[in-house]
Amino acid sequence: MSTVGQHLMGMKQTLDVVNRMEADRIIGRYAIAGAVAAYNYIEPTVTEDVDILIAFDSGPRQPQSGLVTLGPILSYLKDKGYSEFRKEGILIEGWAVQFIPVASDLDAEALAKADDVDLEIDPNEGSVNVRVLRPEYIVATALRVGRPKDRLRVIQFLQEEAVDIEALCDVIGRHGLADAWLTLCGGAGIADPCWIKSTT
Amino acid sequence: MKQPETIYPDISDILQRKAEGRRDISRRSFGEKIAMMEALRERLAPFKRLREQRRAARQAAQGSKVDPEK
Repeated sequence: MSTVGQHLMGMKQTLDVVNRMEADRIIGRYAIAGAVAAYNYIEPTVTEDVDILIAFDSGPRQPQSGLVTLGPILSYLKDKGYSEFRKEGILIEGWAVQFIPVASDLDAEALAKADDVDLEIDPNEGSVNVRVLRPEYIVATALRVGRPKDRLRVIQFLQEEAVDIEALCDVIGRHGLADAWLTLCGGAGIADPCWIKSTT
Repeated sequence: MKQPETIYPDISDILQRKAEGRRDISRRSFGEKIAMMEALRERLAPFKRLREQRRAARQAAQGSKVDPEK
């Protein structure tokens, strides 16, 4: 098999494992997030892992650390033979996967509204059904996190017209991100698309 | 009755590990980084195809709006 074939096959197998975890109820609803989700809409940024945003059974109790909440998931994967850790995540079929529990109302809404995508890996391998965050939530999350690379991602979505402005402005408004949005627009020297949209 | 506020996990430990991973990657050699980019491109080719299909569909839709006779 060619090297290319191995890589593509690894991708499908990785996502198959994640889908199996959902079917086995080891994780709840999930969606691909982070750089790989962004890649679904804009030109690539470098990443070595795939972020998987997962539902978290929350309740009125003390907050747990993210790594502690992942205990049952890692135990399940270890039983399946996946026990190699990297800082970027656990290695599943050659792909570092980082499970990230929902940690805010924005995350919870992003996960609830994620798109189902039928991803054709290869004509021989067939396709795999996965969920991917919608662009307005990727942008809103980048805006909330606010590191330089996140601001670049927001600008990239705007420049490539890869996000529905109306949907984005709605999410920004409802999740208290208006100040961050105005700061970003001002810093990047771009006219506020939400203001433009509201006046046209 | 007011719903109890949702208590979310604190994922700062996960994010810190990811940041350390990114710093490790930044210290790789140029050749290692090129190889990493090549592998990434191969892995993510299905997403690129999807993106291009959506873009083509959007452009076709916009074109038909501009010139409905075409």
